[in-house]
Amino acid sequence: MSALLSVDNLHVEFATYGGIVQAVRGISFSVDAGQTLAIVGESGCGKSVSMQAVMGLIPMPPGRIRTGSAQLRGQDFLGKTHLDGKAICGDEIGMIFQDPMSSLNPTMCIGDQIAETLEVHRGYSRTQAFARAIELLELVKIPEASKRARQYPFEFSGGMLQRAMIAMAIACKPSVLIADEPTTALDVTIQAQILDLLKEIQQETGMAIILITHDLAVVARMADKVAVMYAGQIVESASVDDLFYKSAHPYTLGLKLAMPSNKSDAAHQLQPIAGSPPDLFSPPAGCAYCARCPWAMQVCQGDNPPPFVIGDGHYAKCWLQHPQQERDIDGLYQAVTVTGAPA
Amino acid sequence: MWWYTLKRLFQGVITVWFIATATFIGMHNVPGDPLSGDRATNATIRANLEARYGLDRPVTEQYFIYMRNMLRGDFGISYTQQNREVNDIIREHFPVSATLGILAVLFAAMGGILFGALTALFRNRLPDYIIMFLVILGISVPSFVFAALSQLSLVNMNNVLGFSILPVAGWGTVSHMLLPALVLGLGTMAYMTRLMRSSMLEVMSSDYIRTARAKGLSPTRIFSRHQLRNAVLPVITVLGPAIAAITTGGFVVELVFAIPGLGRYFVQAVQQLDYTVIMGTTVFYGAFLVFMVILVDLVYGWIDPRVRLQ
Amino acid sequence: MENNPVIRRLRPADLEPLSSQSAAPLLVRPSRSYWQDAWGRLKSNKRALVSLYLIIGLLLFTFAGPLVWRVDPALQDIDQISVPPGADRGAMVVDPFVAWDNVSLDDGYQGGTGLSLAGDPTTQSVRLHWDAIPGASGYRVYRNNYPTQDADALGLPLLQINNTQQMYYEDRLDLRAQTYYYSVAALDESGQLTGDYESLQADVVRVITVNEVRARDLSDNPDALQPGDQVRLSWHPLGTDYLGRDMLARLMAGARVSLFIGLLAPLFFVAFGVLYGATSGFVGGRFDSVMMRFADFVVALPFLLFMILFQVVFGIGPGESGIVPMLIALIILSWPATARLVRGQILQIREEAYVSAARLLGASQNYLILRHMIPNTLGVILVTLTFAVPAAIFTEAFLSFIGMGVAPPTASWGSMCNEGLKTMLTHPHELIFPAAMISITVLAFNLLGDGLRDALDAKMRNTE
Repeated sequence: MSALLSVDNLHVEFATYGGIVQAVRGISFSVDAGQTLAIVGESGCGKSVSMQAVMGLIPMPPGRIRTGSAQLRGQDFLGKTHLDGKAICGDEIGMIFQDPMSSLNPTMCIGDQIAETLEVHRGYSRTQAFARAIELLELVKIPEASKRARQYPFEFSGGMLQRAMIAMAIACKPSVLIADEPTTALDVTIQAQILDLLKEIQQETGMAIILITHDLAVVARMADKVAVMYAGQIVESASVDDLFYKSAHPYTLGLKLAMPSNKSDAAHQLQPIAGSPPDLFSPPAGCAYCARCPWAMQVCQGDNPPPFVIGDGHYAKCWLQHPQQERDIDGLYQAVTVTGAPA
Repeated sequence: MWWYTLKRLFQGVITVWFIATATFIGMHNVPGDPLSGDRATNATIRANLEARYGLDRPVTEQYFIYMRNMLRGDFGISYTQQNREVNDIIREHFPVSATLGILAVLFAAMGGILFGALTALFRNRLPDYIIMFLVILGISVPSFVFAALSQLSLVNMNNVLGFSILPVAGWGTVSHMLLPALVLGLGTMAYMTRLMRSSMLEVMSSDYIRTARAKGLSPTRIFSRHQLRNAVLPVITVLGPAIAAITTGGFVVELVFAIPGLGRYFVQAVQQLDYTVIMGTTVFYGAFLVFMVILVDLVYGWIDPRVRLQ
Repeated sequence: MENNPVIRRLRPADLEPLSSQSAAPLLVRPSRSYWQDAWGRLKSNKRALVSLYLIIGLLLFTFAGPLVWRVDPALQDIDQISVPPGADRGAMVVDPFVAWDNVSLDDGYQGGTGLSLAGDPTTQSVRLHWDAIPGASGYRVYRNNYPTQDADALGLPLLQINNTQQMYYEDRLDLRAQTYYYSVAALDESGQLTGDYESLQADVVRVITVNEVRARDLSDNPDALQPGDQVRLSWHPLGTDYLGRDMLARLMAGARVSLFIGLLAPLFFVAFGVLYGATSGFVGGRFDSVMMRFADFVVALPFLLFMILFQVVFGIGPGESGIVPMLIALIILSWPATARLVRGQILQIREEAYVSAARLLGASQNYLILRHMIPNTLGVILVTLTFAVPAAIFTEAFLSFIGMGVAPPTASWGSMCNEGLKTMLTHPHELIFPAAMISITVLAFNLLGDGLRDALDAKMRNTE
């Protein structure tokens, strides 16, 4: 295993009043240094939960990691707080969240919140850490950093706060940065700036980025590798080009069709995916996407598809990829893309 | 912030004026002449009072005399105690009430914050259930019942043990203060525990605590630096009303424990219809409470940067 | 995951397209109205349900209780004063009292034994006799409830005798069926205690004369009673107070006063607050700010202080019953909290998108008020009302406790506590019963309020 960070067969569940929710049902992925992995999926598909589980951030109970392992440079770290004397959270792996306004402590000034990481992990003194925090704020291109460091979150704009969050996450030069929908709460012009900033920092430090998003535009802009999640499972995993040009799973196709475009002909009309995701209290025995899939077959209902390899580093969990399945998948997909209606 | 402080102080002055006027109007509508009957026990007191308040003059003039005296901080002379000034009564007895009140507030705030944080940390486990049961009890039992029952059990305990753990009543030493302060603060502590618990639960599930954990901070550091501070803020805002509740609750606790405080004096004055003492202590207490509430608000504003900087 | 696992072979039927999409689960629940939903949530809250039953029980106790327990709460049973619940209520029949002439030392007197009892101690009289204490030129006679260790700790004497001739005393002062400790202390020429004293213990027996039995209708056949017979006195399940009044009947009478204020005052001030707040919120603008500024002033008044002041202003001194003035004062001082709440609620609802939508669809003002404003504020008002009840009961109890509320002979739980406080050490039941009633009532309304708040506001379900 040469991967920097790898997760294998992770299962996460939550005990609630309504029963046990199987939020993540056996996902595996890996990411190398300098690489960006995007995890895509709609709300509630388990993409944030899986990363928070890896970081040990989900409250337990009610949360529970049933099985699975996570390795950093080949060493297991799930359930541990330190690896080789270095803390996992904040030191080896940094994390930024979706809503910067609520993700920062409202009664602590920005500089102190950044400095805190350095004090804890690097043993800096308060003044040292604060000075370094100002440098970090400069690094994430916040003007008048020394003045801004003494201000509170409510005095910042959303984009500025996300920059501060990034500064906080990279303070200890982590080898992996997990960005949980970092641009969802921001407006489009700011989004681009934040993404560019992340890319720039990645080029400088060579860290790996795991980008959680539901926005395929962000994926296209940032990612090297993409994992598409649906109902707690990764249904397709591919390089960014393969995913967009050789989509193998109907869900990936559905996501692509649901993407807004600036062309106005019928072929580019936005098509929502009908139906809703399955109830994860009792996930279906077969393919979770079966009920919404226009090409569903008898087998899809009863058996969960295994991952079918399509190309180098490209697999999809879909019975359509079975060698015995004789319909022309490309043709079917093509028809949808052109006419706007499934055959 | 300065503007806000000035505004609040101005509002406070207006409120105190309102209280003083309401007291004056109220007292003037008391049926009968305040000096009739056995109220002015002898000619000396009557003469003193008439001279001081000009009771033979028109009401408006009396009002101005009254307000002028109030502004000077002169609350007049007792009706029932010859030549005793209300100021002397306040000066002599208020420190006792204040000591008791401060102890009770400290006790209530510290206990409330501590127990509230504990119940939130042990949510839905045994310590939570036990403390929350006691809290419901504390909210539902009036302070005078607590006072009487604690005194009763203390008497019995002292009898059984054959020596005195704590004095049953009276005032003077620290040991005299403990039980009354405890009893006085109990209701407020219960209320604050509840508030602190819900505030703490809210903070614990907030996004920024998740961020703090993602930063790799230890649970103790998260608790002391992030959770406690943010959860305490809403508790501070109720400290103003809590001081008012504790001060007025002090009336009965002082009565039950025979503590020579202003509260007991006030209740006695009410029972004896000693009008000047009632008016004086009402305005004094009113002003005290109004400014305590303002003080708490200002302190809160100073602590919470969101208020301080806006 | 890089290389394919062994792929199982599929049957041809497996590859048939699914005909219908009926596999999609139907995610529909039966629709329930807001109030049905809230009621369901309240019913599943055990604490709220228990407190609801408690409140119903309390109302029954207050209003149906007096029909079952028909004892006049003001009636004094002078044979049984401060009797704890479940006390022995037998009394021995004796002959009518005849004054002691001091000469009839025959019954039981043995000379030379110091202080002694002449005859059995009864509630009719206790007769004491003593030998001269050497060096005494006078005596003081004391009666205590507890044994004393020291001549200086005897308290107030029953009697002082300034000669040495009288060495007997007959105590008839308010005797109860309990144990007393009598002491006789010697005085020197100047009337000071010498420090010498003698004590004895007297276990007083409750007695009653035939005439009293007849007068109180305690026996079917009073004429057949002989001295030495036992009769049973009237029954007081919860004992009596310091004036011999039945505690149970007084608790019921007190409940009427406490609940009258506790329920009526909140009803009135919440209603007034709703009207005030709703008007202010609807009219808005300058009118609104003036109205709210006035409410702010009333809020700033120290509540209990002004309650007391109001009672004084209404001329309610000690000894006068001030139920109605208390009600008025409570209403005058308590409405602003509700007014603020309702105004806030109205302002908020007015800005809600669904109200704008309704307005765009052509809904009239009346429709908006009836369909949106009232149902959406009703929950908040109901919760306020429930929490206002214990607060009002507390206030009444507090005022009655310091003697500014209801006055004797009217009973209220607060005034009963006040009276019970005086006899707390000897007869704790007189304090504990009314205190428990207040606490249980307040507890029930608090828990019900909690339950209602949680039931009516799904958002607050996690915040206790």
